[in-house]
Amino acid sequence: MTVRAKRRPRAKVKANVQAWLIMLPGLILMAFFVWEPLFESVRMSLYKTKNIALLEWNNFDNFTKVVGRDEFRQALGNTFAYTLWSLAIGFFLPIILALLIGETRRSKGIFRTAVYLPNMLPGLAVVILWSAFFSAEKYGVLNILFRNFGLTDPDNPIRFLENEHLVIPIIIAVATWKGAGATALIYMAGLSGISAELYEAAAIDGATVRQRIFHITLPAIRKLMGTLLILQIISVFQIMYEPMVLTKGGPDGASLSLMQLMWQYAFGGGSMQFGRASAVAVILTGILLVMTIVYSIVNRRESDWD
Amino acid sequence: MKKIPRTGVIREYDMHSPSVRIGYGFLIFLCCLMVLVAVFPLVWVALAGFKELEEFNNSSSILPSTFSMKAYTTTWSQVGIAKNYLNSLISVSGSVICAILFNGMVGYGLGILKPKGHKVVKRLVMLSLLIPSTISIVPLFVNITKLFPGPTFVPLWLSFGANAMYIILFAQFFESLPKSIIEASRIDGCSPLQTFFRIVLPLSKPICVVVAIFALNAAWSDFLLPYLLLRGTDLQTVMVRLFDFSTQQTINEDDMMRSVVFAMIPPIILFFIFQKQLTENAVSVGIKG
Repeated sequence: MTVRAKRRPRAKVKANVQAWLIMLPGLILMAFFVWEPLFESVRMSLYKTKNIALLEWNNFDNFTKVVGRDEFRQALGNTFAYTLWSLAIGFFLPIILALLIGETRRSKGIFRTAVYLPNMLPGLAVVILWSAFFSAEKYGVLNILFRNFGLTDPDNPIRFLENEHLVIPIIIAVATWKGAGATALIYMAGLSGISAELYEAAAIDGATVRQRIFHITLPAIRKLMGTLLILQIISVFQIMYEPMVLTKGGPDGASLSLMQLMWQYAFGGGSMQFGRASAVAVILTGILLVMTIVYSIVNRRESDWD
Repeated sequence: MKKIPRTGVIREYDMHSPSVRIGYGFLIFLCCLMVLVAVFPLVWVALAGFKELEEFNNSSSILPSTFSMKAYTTTWSQVGIAKNYLNSLISVSGSVICAILFNGMVGYGLGILKPKGHKVVKRLVMLSLLIPSTISIVPLFVNITKLFPGPTFVPLWLSFGANAMYIILFAQFFESLPKSIIEASRIDGCSPLQTFFRIVLPLSKPICVVVAIFALNAAWSDFLLPYLLLRGTDLQTVMVRLFDFSTQQTINEDDMMRSVVFAMIPPIILFFIFQKQLTENAVSVGIKG
């Protein structure tokens, strides 16, 4: 620092310019791929569009048209249903996995590796794979299992993906299968910060295993749980390709998500209604923005970088 | 056998209690069940791939009747997936290079050079972490088609040069490098750019490997933007084909499952080579991404 302070002002200006020039290519890419499209979404949502051209300003016409449709209300409701189901299925599971693996002595590495493996697989391939599991055709793996246990009639398989009450929990279960292991690893890192001596001391004082979990373990990861909860909600809100591939949003739109609705307006069936698609995107961004603000308030007291 | 100390809630002393011992046995059983749930679908799809259409549709046994590779080789050549593999390879390589180069340079600015006003960029990058990339895919698609009218990998490569998470990983790592080395290189007359390529990058191999693995996997699995830009052209990647199959229903279910296997093989190989780096860094990547 002292060396820098003694340098002449001109050298300092030069160093600043050079540094900005080095960052420039990356910043241009960030602007092109991340920042500008966000503003462009807002602009596009306020215009009448034809293919990729913006025709004329039409105030909030896109929004009123989109919000007025039944499919929007359905998609919004479904998106909230996805979120609730994902909290029910996907929030506690990684914590339980982390606790279980943390207790094992030998082969901890194998368990860790195995739960993380699904996370590395391409999401699209995973969803297609699971569509065969839930299929009502003869190769449908779950129906085969049920049949072997005598739970279902061979001529009358369960049509998992055509049941409006089952589709959302099923899609969430698939997403959880893929993602839970990665989240469990984060919890495991959090748990490893708890000193074993703390448990030892509690054990000597006569605390049972259950008491130790509820009074030592869980309070220690409470903050992490809060952070991951919000991140999970933000990510489930953007669910799209899972319903697209597994159910095509069906039956009768029972699993249609907001992002999927956006994609359908823009690219589904050659419709190219970019104005309306952007209106959906802007509404979704608004919801996510609120959550992001909540997240940053929760996270405020963390270190400089986190 | 060497005794490994317990690090968790259950202490050695608890094991004297029979109920804790039963509970611990149940815990190990649950862990094994978890491994089974994680691995079974993969085993199933790999085995199902050996079945020809007739057997695939009608057999309820998990094991195929034969283990001949014929079904796999037939699908491989019929679907013409070799060409898609090559395309994926080109797309992935360019993406990895862009991910390291562009994000690394921004990270260098934020972590080491810190010019006047860099805090604004830092703020913007931190905020971008929480902006989902697909949400503005419509305007992005429009912008790209205006700039690159024909099918090309270039926009896909460059899209990996704009990743807030990678920038932060780089910046954090660079910040931890000893300042004296960088100062010494400056006094020796290296320009900041020379310092980056000759000193900073070679010292940062661990983080480069991590970013490269995650970018490689992300680029291989990416399909929305590639689908919009490359669908139906000569440049289709494996994922673009797979997405096309799944939405258009153009191929039989058994061929589809074999394509799923083809799509999963490279990430699985990658996973087993870089297990350690992946599970260790999943934490920082998971929280930030």
